[in-house]
Amino acid sequence: MLVIKFTPPLTIKVKNKQIINAIMQLNEQIRFNTFSWSLNMKSIKTFALLCGLLLPGLSSATKVEDIHSFELANGMKIMVLEDHSIPNANMYLFWEVGSRNEYPGITGLAHFFEHMMFNGSKKYGPKMFDRTMEAAGGSNNAYTTENLTVYTDWFPSSALETIFDLEADRIANLAIDKDVVESERGVVTSERSTGLENSNYRAISEEVKNAAFRAHPYSWSVIGHQSDIENWSLQDLKDFHKTYYAPNNAVVVIAGNVKVAEVKKLAKKYFEPIPAQAPPREVHTVEPEQKGERRVYLQKASVTTPNILMGFHIPETQHQDYYALDILSDVLSTGDSSRLQKSLINEQQLASSVFSYVPQSIDPNLFYVYAVAADGVTAETLEKAIIKEINQVVLEGITEQELQKVKNTKLVNFYRQMSTINGKADTIGSYQMYFGDYKKLFTAPEDYNKVTVADVQRAAKTYLRKANRTVGVLSSQEDSNDADL
Amino acid sequence: MMRIFNTFLTLCLLTASKVALASYTLPEYEKFTLKNGLTVYLMEQNEVPLIDARVVINVGAIHDGKQAGLSYLTSENLVLGTTSLAKAKLDETVDFVGANLFSSTNLEFSTVGASFAKKDSEKILTILRDTVLTPRFDQTEFDKFKTRHALNLTQQKESPRAVIDNYFNRLVFGENGYGSIVAGDKESVDKLTVADIKMHHQKWYTANNAAVVIVGDFDVKQMKRDVNKLFGDWEKGSQKASDPISVAAKPAKAQVLLVNKGDARESTFLIGGKGIAMNNKDRVGISVVNTILGGRFTSWLNDELRVNTGLTYGARSRFASYSQDGSFAISTFTKTETTIDAIDLALKTYARLWEKGIDEKTLASAKAYVKGQFPPRFETSGQLAGLLANMYGYGFGESYINTFEEQVDSLTAKKAASLIKQYFPKENLQFVVVGKAEAIRDSLTKYGQVSQVDIQDIGFEIK
Repeated sequence: MLVIKFTPPLTIKVKNKQIINAIMQLNEQIRFNTFSWSLNMKSIKTFALLCGLLLPGLSSATKVEDIHSFELANGMKIMVLEDHSIPNANMYLFWEVGSRNEYPGITGLAHFFEHMMFNGSKKYGPKMFDRTMEAAGGSNNAYTTENLTVYTDWFPSSALETIFDLEADRIANLAIDKDVVESERGVVTSERSTGLENSNYRAISEEVKNAAFRAHPYSWSVIGHQSDIENWSLQDLKDFHKTYYAPNNAVVVIAGNVKVAEVKKLAKKYFEPIPAQAPPREVHTVEPEQKGERRVYLQKASVTTPNILMGFHIPETQHQDYYALDILSDVLSTGDSSRLQKSLINEQQLASSVFSYVPQSIDPNLFYVYAVAADGVTAETLEKAIIKEINQVVLEGITEQELQKVKNTKLVNFYRQMSTINGKADTIGSYQMYFGDYKKLFTAPEDYNKVTVADVQRAAKTYLRKANRTVGVLSSQEDSNDADL
Repeated sequence: MMRIFNTFLTLCLLTASKVALASYTLPEYEKFTLKNGLTVYLMEQNEVPLIDARVVINVGAIHDGKQAGLSYLTSENLVLGTTSLAKAKLDETVDFVGANLFSSTNLEFSTVGASFAKKDSEKILTILRDTVLTPRFDQTEFDKFKTRHALNLTQQKESPRAVIDNYFNRLVFGENGYGSIVAGDKESVDKLTVADIKMHHQKWYTANNAAVVIVGDFDVKQMKRDVNKLFGDWEKGSQKASDPISVAAKPAKAQVLLVNKGDARESTFLIGGKGIAMNNKDRVGISVVNTILGGRFTSWLNDELRVNTGLTYGARSRFASYSQDGSFAISTFTKTETTIDAIDLALKTYARLWEKGIDEKTLASAKAYVKGQFPPRFETSGQLAGLLANMYGYGFGESYINTFEEQVDSLTAKKAASLIKQYFPKENLQFVVVGKAEAIRDSLTKYGQVSQVDIQDIGFEIK
């Protein structure tokens, strides 16, 4: 789930696949509305990208040895990929901190902090981070998820040293000004409100997460509770920066028109002097096993037809079942020929849109299935139809043809992702963070190819069970009927 | 399969027209015309084994007249089956190889496109050709699509952001021309039949009214032969290019269109007026000025409305251009209680263009920004195919790309001042505000004559 520095332009039109991309984006919190076209490309941050790579031949694009990885004395990990196809480069900084590192009282702080990282430090005071970067031809954005906070700089490669200087200054010497904090609370409140105003998914997902997790911090949305946004203290912010913005808690990826030796030199000069900190405390909370279906209901007057969001507990990304679950999700809902789209939208005409998705996640998370009812279709009818399709997989499994289709699609999507320097940086960094090693990117073909139809059926049987699910209904109708008291 | 809904491709070219590295020119490509009048663009890009193809037809919503949504429904139905492949089989074939097949429609042209792996070139190009030349136009699929689309038209109105541009175009351009609604409305769409889209297809989808654009990993010589084989028999039509469009007059008075959304917690608004056409000679310079006003994070509007006051999550401005005309708008949103504060501050900030003008330092920064952000915009085959399709559809030349840097570099503060005077609307501004009407209506009267509609009303008619 991700929240962005600045959301997409006001002109987004959403439909079908685009709805899904828009929703994915709303799942994250982004720093700001993107002004640069490249970000729009980037924001189609599908898991597809991370899942890619199945077959031989792919290696012709980028090979494992093309990525130069090294670690600074303070524990900061750096990966460099030279790509001279355009005179630009990027720097992606992945921090292992997200809403999972929060607790009640400071929910939303990871994302708020992402905003504060742009609000002034020792050398570059308020506004100077953005002004300096833009004057050097660069632009930036950032996003926060349940697991990570990621900063993204895109620039002509001539600006490389300026970017290092800017990033080092805010990592080492962030200034947290009281007045700026107050103003930024307003910005984040607006971001929260506009998400709920424009996205039904955002509204219902808050409810479903909250019901599905009663112990683990995935319980609350990345944007956080309004009352926490209004009340966290300056000290909360200072502690947060010291704990999580330590070089030993980061992975930096630089891709584009750069030289490895030059990057190494600059990294040593700017990043290495920043002292390491004691590692943050582990998130030790384990969500207790769910032993029965949970249901939530949300009324919103402007909803046209009922929306349903289901969440099934599944293991973390590094678990062996990840690949089978990811393939299962694609079989269910990627493409017009996928089971849910074909059956619910086209054949039965019960849904106007449907998708499923497996988030990349450090801790065990949810397998999501989301559907919007067709005109005149009740939530109950739609829910039954979704469950029928899921049960079909549980009982009879999937076909070899379906499995092969997903594998083929992942390969082509991988190429799409690797056709930009931003896609490359994002993919490498995400693999490092979620799979524990960027090299997994290069064994993924094998990992996906190993998955059999039996594995997919077993995954469906294991996880897509009634007792393991939370069902959320979003509707314009009040949650009641004449028979109720 | 993926379908793209009337994207303002114009916008990408204009608002984001941050261009040019030291001498960026469009990669080499071949453009030629087949005997049947079909225009063909071929550009080789070999970094990854992918190909992007587009078939562009010169017909869009401005040609729909009273049948609003006709161009849109036609192009959407092209990808719902061909005479040789029924929908389910078509979907299965395309999905199996990880290809995307999509259609899109805007005010001026319609596109069917595909993205696929090099090895599937023959298979997918054949399907693409069939969707355009021999669509199935099956009654059952048509009916199902129409039902889905009708619901979609209502669903869009759940989100102010998804519909505000339609209201704005209506306000600025009127009911016809660029005020046309690409997707139509529930009433107009309800009347459309399979016979209508068949007729539309027959009239406009002809070789001499279309272009084929292919970018990616292929051999140009071989591809020339393939294109000839696939599209050489496409019939020529008598309908040539677009009907001329009458350019709307500048608004004679300031107007406010208040769109009531009963459950709104915030107000979403646009302020602006007439803009510029796609082929305007000053387009590049104007985009640099707009970058300073509302085209980047440190822009004046975002700085004032977000950074200094926390009124909003983001404020921006943009020019949307079409072949003959265009619009300009400032856009942002804020909670209901601060609607007037935000509008006032947006107007005050906008007035700085005339009152203070642009200083040398800010101009230099914007020029560097616009140039530095350019190359990634044309990095992939898909992006380049989109660019060539736009060049054909909107009728502008590659000089826009190839002289971009030169034009950015030559922009002086004095020239910027003259561009502001000439192109940024100053008088009779047009406002669209989507929000809780009862809370804001009275305060809005100070900006102009207020008319009110409800977001749940069918279509975008201004009463």
